[in-house]
Amino acid sequence: MKKTLYIFKSGELRRKDNSLYFESEERKKYIPIEDTNDIYIFGEVDVSKRFLEFVSQKEVCLHYFNHYGYYVGSFYPREHQNAGHVVMKQAEHYIDSDKRMTLARKFVHGSIGQMSQVLKYYTGRVGSGTGVLTQLLAQFKDTAKPLADAGSIEEIMAVEGHAREKYYSAFDYIIGNPDFPFEKRSKRPPLNRLNALISFGNSICYTMVLSEVYKTYLDPRIGYLHSTNFRRFSLNLDVAEIFKPIVVDRLIFTLINKKMLTKKDFDKHIDGITLSESGKKTFISELDKRMQTTVNHRHLGKSVSYRRMIRLELYKIQKHILGEKEYVPYQSLW
Amino acid sequence: MDVTGTHIWYYFICKREVWLIAHNIAADQDDENMDIGRFINEQTYQRNKQEVLIGNIKVDRVRREDGQLVIGEVKKSSRYLESSRYQLLYYLQTLKKMGIVARGELLFPEEKRRETVELTSEAERQLDRAVEEIRIIARHPVPPLPEKISFCRNCAYREYCWAEG
Repeated sequence: MKKTLYIFKSGELRRKDNSLYFESEERKKYIPIEDTNDIYIFGEVDVSKRFLEFVSQKEVCLHYFNHYGYYVGSFYPREHQNAGHVVMKQAEHYIDSDKRMTLARKFVHGSIGQMSQVLKYYTGRVGSGTGVLTQLLAQFKDTAKPLADAGSIEEIMAVEGHAREKYYSAFDYIIGNPDFPFEKRSKRPPLNRLNALISFGNSICYTMVLSEVYKTYLDPRIGYLHSTNFRRFSLNLDVAEIFKPIVVDRLIFTLINKKMLTKKDFDKHIDGITLSESGKKTFISELDKRMQTTVNHRHLGKSVSYRRMIRLELYKIQKHILGEKEYVPYQSLW
Repeated sequence: MDVTGTHIWYYFICKREVWLIAHNIAADQDDENMDIGRFINEQTYQRNKQEVLIGNIKVDRVRREDGQLVIGEVKKSSRYLESSRYQLLYYLQTLKKMGIVARGELLFPEEKRRETVELTSEAERQLDRAVEEIRIIARHPVPPLPEKISFCRNCAYREYCWAEG
């Protein structure tokens, strides 16, 4: 499996012969391009057109984050996988509102399933609050029910929002650390540490899915749950719903509960709070480890990494829109 | 629809692949076997290699031996001999229709072996049937369902075909 490259330092990325070359004040380093899947840029990194041509030719996505760790944008190279038939079918499933809602419901269904899996996992593990979590989990069983009757995308979104609110109410019990209260969900800017972690983790998750979309025939601009305006990527947001709870949220719980991240790892600004550089590094390196973890796949008959699981999810969606097999969202078993 | 050698090759292994290829849905390019194939293509027969495009067929290697044209098809392994043979036969048939008589050679550099292939009337009949059926498969709105066969194990489509649950 190819690797993801994360750059926190400032410097210059160049093509040197047939390799990636990163030069900063302290060091010079060659990085094999054939082994690179995508690049996350957090530092002040200069690139040239020659470099962009190179990564484009090698089909590598670049994802940019600003000084505070907010997502800036991606360099999504020219499409290399083209199949008119797939894009046409993808658009058909967007234009036909029944088909669109079918997919939107599936994403929310998958998302709710994953959230309840997280709750289930922690029910027996929390110090106090087992009772509350058990009760919440029981209520959670009903949250997906209104999906069947939801007649519009807005209603489907509302079901998701409602479930998420319930889900977030469990966070304080799972974490149980006064330095990381949930309070309420705040974004742009996050107003407390936990929200800063959620925002950062989610934005990485979106780009991770985007990188995988690039390796398929799907067009990232046509999403189903998150509305499309044919300019902004949205399919990755849809698919990320399935992975956020088990990938991002569970990682956050581990990082806080094992004290790998403490309040020292955050910077306060006038209007919000963000992860510090060391915090971002810890988060990323643990996330990367987690994404390389392999689990046995029941149907493929072999182990696949979580990263690969994202790709498989996209294949399933592609098969759904081609009309070969109805999409069933991934459901983690632990 | 133009039927190519690739279609013929897939036809004798997996009909589903025919549909996917006909719809420009290529296999996972990150697959290890794809890399090996690309490598063999780049590294072998460097002395006399010319990839030639004739109509809608792409011949790996062309040379002349005792005044006769010999076309070669390079393969990673002889495991799918039947498919490889028909692919080459299709090239020979295509050339024949252009009025060119040629001999075929399957080349397996990894196994240091080669095999001569000759066009017979029986083979031609088989090919005609295959071409006709490939066109029918390609016209289907939906790909044929995957079938678990021994080929799946090393196929670069396997994750696509078997991703579920």
